[in-house]
Amino acid sequence: MSTDDLATDISKQTENSPRELLTRTFFFLCAGLSIVTTISIVVLLVTEAAKFFTITAPLMGVTGETASLVDFLTGTTWQINSGEFGVLTLVSATVMITLGSAVIAIPLGVATAIYLSEYASKRARSVLKPALEILAGVPTVVYGFFALIYITPALSVVFPSIGTFNMLSASVVVGVMIIPMVASISEDAMSAVPDELRQAGYGMGATKFDVATGIVVPAALSGIFSSFILALSRAIGETMAVTIAAGSRAQFLNPLNPASFLEGSLPMTAAMVQLLLGDITGGGLAYRSLFAIGLVLFVITLIMNVISDFVAQRYREEY
Amino acid sequence: MSEQNRDEQRTGDAGSPDPTDDEMLIQTDVSESVERTGASFDRDTVVSARDINVWYGDDQALQNISMDIPEKSVTAMVGPSGCGKSTFLRCINRMNDLIDSARVEGDLYLRGKNVYDDDVDPVALRRRVGMVFQKPNPFPKSIRENVTYGLKIQDKGGDYDEIVEESLKRAALWEEVKDQLDESGLELSGGQQQRLCIARAIAPDPEVLLMDEPASALDPVATSQIEDLIEELAQEYTVVIVTHNMQQAARISDQTAVFLTGGELVEFDDTQKIFENPESQRVEDYITGKFG
Amino acid sequence: MATTSDSGEIEGFGQVSRTVGTVFRYLLLAATMFGIVMLGVLLLYVANDAIRPLTADPGWYLVFLLALVVPSAAVGWTVRRRDSEAFNFGTLLVGMLVVSLMFSGGVALLVIDVVPPLVALAYAIGIAVPVGLSVLLTGQAHRISFTPRLAATTALFYLSLFGLPGPVGGALGVPQVVPSLVGAIQSIPVIPVDWMMIAAVVGGGSAAAVGAYAAGIGDRTTGLYAATAAFAATLVAGALGPAVGLGAVPAVVVTAVAFVPTGAYAWRGGFAEEGSPLGLVFAATVVGGALVGALAVDALGFAGPASWVDWGFLTSAHSGTAENAGLYPAIGGSILLMATVAALSFPLGVGAAVYLEEYAPDNALTRFVDVNISNLAGVPSVVYGLLGLGVFVTYLGQSAGTVLVGGATLALLILPIVIISSREAIRSVPSDMRQASYGMGATRWQTVKNVVLPEAFPGILTGTILALGRAIGETAPLIMIGAPNVVFNLPDTLGSKVSAMPLQVYAWSGLFASEDFYTKAVPAGVVVLLAVLLAMNSVAIVLRNKFERTG
Repeated sequence: MSTDDLATDISKQTENSPRELLTRTFFFLCAGLSIVTTISIVVLLVTEAAKFFTITAPLMGVTGETASLVDFLTGTTWQINSGEFGVLTLVSATVMITLGSAVIAIPLGVATAIYLSEYASKRARSVLKPALEILAGVPTVVYGFFALIYITPALSVVFPSIGTFNMLSASVVVGVMIIPMVASISEDAMSAVPDELRQAGYGMGATKFDVATGIVVPAALSGIFSSFILALSRAIGETMAVTIAAGSRAQFLNPLNPASFLEGSLPMTAAMVQLLLGDITGGGLAYRSLFAIGLVLFVITLIMNVISDFVAQRYREEY
Repeated sequence: MSEQNRDEQRTGDAGSPDPTDDEMLIQTDVSESVERTGASFDRDTVVSARDINVWYGDDQALQNISMDIPEKSVTAMVGPSGCGKSTFLRCINRMNDLIDSARVEGDLYLRGKNVYDDDVDPVALRRRVGMVFQKPNPFPKSIRENVTYGLKIQDKGGDYDEIVEESLKRAALWEEVKDQLDESGLELSGGQQQRLCIARAIAPDPEVLLMDEPASALDPVATSQIEDLIEELAQEYTVVIVTHNMQQAARISDQTAVFLTGGELVEFDDTQKIFENPESQRVEDYITGKFG
Repeated sequence: MATTSDSGEIEGFGQVSRTVGTVFRYLLLAATMFGIVMLGVLLLYVANDAIRPLTADPGWYLVFLLALVVPSAAVGWTVRRRDSEAFNFGTLLVGMLVVSLMFSGGVALLVIDVVPPLVALAYAIGIAVPVGLSVLLTGQAHRISFTPRLAATTALFYLSLFGLPGPVGGALGVPQVVPSLVGAIQSIPVIPVDWMMIAAVVGGGSAAAVGAYAAGIGDRTTGLYAATAAFAATLVAGALGPAVGLGAVPAVVVTAVAFVPTGAYAWRGGFAEEGSPLGLVFAATVVGGALVGALAVDALGFAGPASWVDWGFLTSAHSGTAENAGLYPAIGGSILLMATVAALSFPLGVGAAVYLEEYAPDNALTRFVDVNISNLAGVPSVVYGLLGLGVFVTYLGQSAGTVLVGGATLALLILPIVIISSREAIRSVPSDMRQASYGMGATRWQTVKNVVLPEAFPGILTGTILALGRAIGETAPLIMIGAPNVVFNLPDTLGSKVSAMPLQVYAWSGLFASEDFYTKAVPAGVVVLLAVLLAMNSVAIVLRNKFERTG
């Protein structure tokens, strides 16, 4: 092979051959689609919600019916027919579902994570982990049905005054649904705790209990915390279970009063479903209120996801 | 002989041992390290490095490496781990380009063409430079597909059956696998896998064959087979081999380059000279096992 | 991971802490089991409501106990003791038969009620011909460079599917000159019998797959024989079907989709190298026992459970009374939605994953895309529904609630999950392989196509199936895009209104709320939905286990 041949040969540009360009562009566009999706969500929610409020509607060139932003954010009545859009009503119900499911999922999830990470044998893990995954894999509409048909009647034995639609049974199933999320992220955080820390504990004569509660859990705290936020953001966005089980009558409830869990109300997601089932016309006030709620929901879950990411970053940096 | 060469080296043109070789291109200034380490040999130069510096992020992995590698012989690179010998090997076929944090400065000529010129495409370059890795890494495909991989990606035609047979024969593997060419390359033993990788590398008829510790993951029997094979291959190919095994370098190589910690090429000469009478005290210490 | 145990403590010092530790340990275990047990109990309840096992004749149980359970247990125990590998193979074989039977039901639904056989045949040929020709072209890669090959392939597909000048000409007002291959086939004067056309399409596909599978084990000749045998079996089934009381079309579909692939797997596991006929014995005992049991209860007149999940439920549409309500249009809707979701999310998700893992430089934009994808995975599904409603329906003017809009919305919903799991699969391809490929002078695309994707494929497939499982259970986005609660006909185009299994379950439990629906139709719907999910997940898990063993 002569020198000239080689020089021309290795100067052949393969990087920009049609085949490479075509495939690289396709892959790039695929990755770009995620950005397009996010932008579409944000633009859509913001513009449609802007058309909803009296204060911003003129900016969007909308003249018809609008709703007051202040009433939306502070009102405690949600009555579409009478034009009362107090999102606090819906938020209070969502907060109740979130609190209720947290009471179930956080202790159980963390306990599961500790068991899986510190106590379970390899074989037990190989059975328990897929079993837990099933909890998250059952469709939420099925959970809603379970709550309505089996759990509420069971609860009425203990609480005779419980309503057919109530926050308690919805919270229970949402809580069960998000246990795997708390468990698996917390377990990852606990597994990331270096073995030397445990060895140090055992070397000091600590028992397994001391090591698990005194060393592993504190060391993994930021990861555990991030799992809470992520799981709760999932509970906030959960739709079908609460729609079926929590009912359809919007009323403002005090989330801190345990008695209100026996009543039903309308969380944000359920309100959106209910709006859709009614006769709404594209462009009407009810249609736009959908996007206003959607925006609130999106912002809340986005903030929680970002916080959770940020907290999770910290534990990754620690070890 | 080498003594004489070294004298010439000191006085003469260090950069281009063969003046007929495209002198315009490889006419570069002679740095100190060339003075110290660059031997010239009585064969045509295939690869010649000039002031190669490599950084990984802020860490310098190679410092001012200059050397001329002669054709159709085995050139061994030895040195303690982390001395940059593998990094240098990967400069020859620009595999370092695949590492985001790696930065290469200097010139490296392959048959007179600077492979770090702007018009050189690293992918096209690698089609002319074969490489064999530390761990045998056949593709999870049939033996036949492994050997013809290089031809296929280059869209080369030709009689594949013949090329497969020829390459496997050169890699001393044909007799063992001729009846199972359609079975997976992963079903072979470690030593066979490495010979398959060698067959794969030589099938497109490369200019240079780079080997990065090709026997370090193998048992002694397979190692000695590979060593025999490398000596055979050197009759037709220019083989550059990185090894941490001093005995191996002494057994199979014609020239040896000694890299020491910090990415410095300390001495490069005929293997016999390096092992029997090295110039540098540090090389002697390293070879006799005083450090490293 | 803890490495030390409590043992080795000095007696008398560890008493108190050990009690606390033990209590703690069992508390943890109880917490772990809480959700699992609760779900198990709920599933038992719903299964009881739907299947009503207590309504069956005791004789029915006795027959199946004697014919199925006892022999299976005995043979299974023996086989397992002698060769656990063979037992696993036998179990897998039975599972494969069950799952593939379910799958063949879906395919039968498609070919009987959705796509007319002639259209299916026309498109199968219209796609197979250009694919075959472009494969031939690729074989000439060393003579013809990429651009002309691409142009030729595109032209072939266009000609075959649209003819000349096709829709481009149509837009310009040029009349059709050359009919497309698809059109030409559909206008042939002599139309073969339905089942023959279906045998050609479905049987041809299954024979090709079986042939490729056999060729992978043996050599090319074996593959050819296997493909021929598979196709012959399909044809024979079509001819004999009516004789055994099964229509020719269902017989063809069940044979091609369920029996032929299961048979091929059985042949491989039972008789090929390292195979174990013992596993086959176990599988035969289970299947044979089930058949014998079914024949026996029929002959003896023992009634089975009066399950709400019966043939009528699976094949009829919604009705005002819970007894007559069925899931058929919703099942068909779910199948079409899944096909659309898979067709959209698989290439897009894998493409994005390939870009991020193999191409993307490590810069701010890449990190932003990264963060963006993980945030998209956390966006509530109801917001995706709003996206579908706002963008596809309101802005793009698609009609609400169609297969296309529903499929596209669900595809966007699972895209982040597909991307994340595909990235994981791609990342697990050893870097050795990439190095070897780049070292040979392969370009990025060649490395991706020849090395990365084939190696990552099982992992990508597992992740995609699990993501599809998520999509098939989603209800909220479908409600948001205006999918109707009740559909009486199967959707037959991408523009038809569509319902889906979870949506139908929601409609029954929310809108037709009555004791009757709560105790009959809804549990039955839940059981069918969960059975489909279970089948999908077990396929994914089997794939994952196989993949982990080799990787």
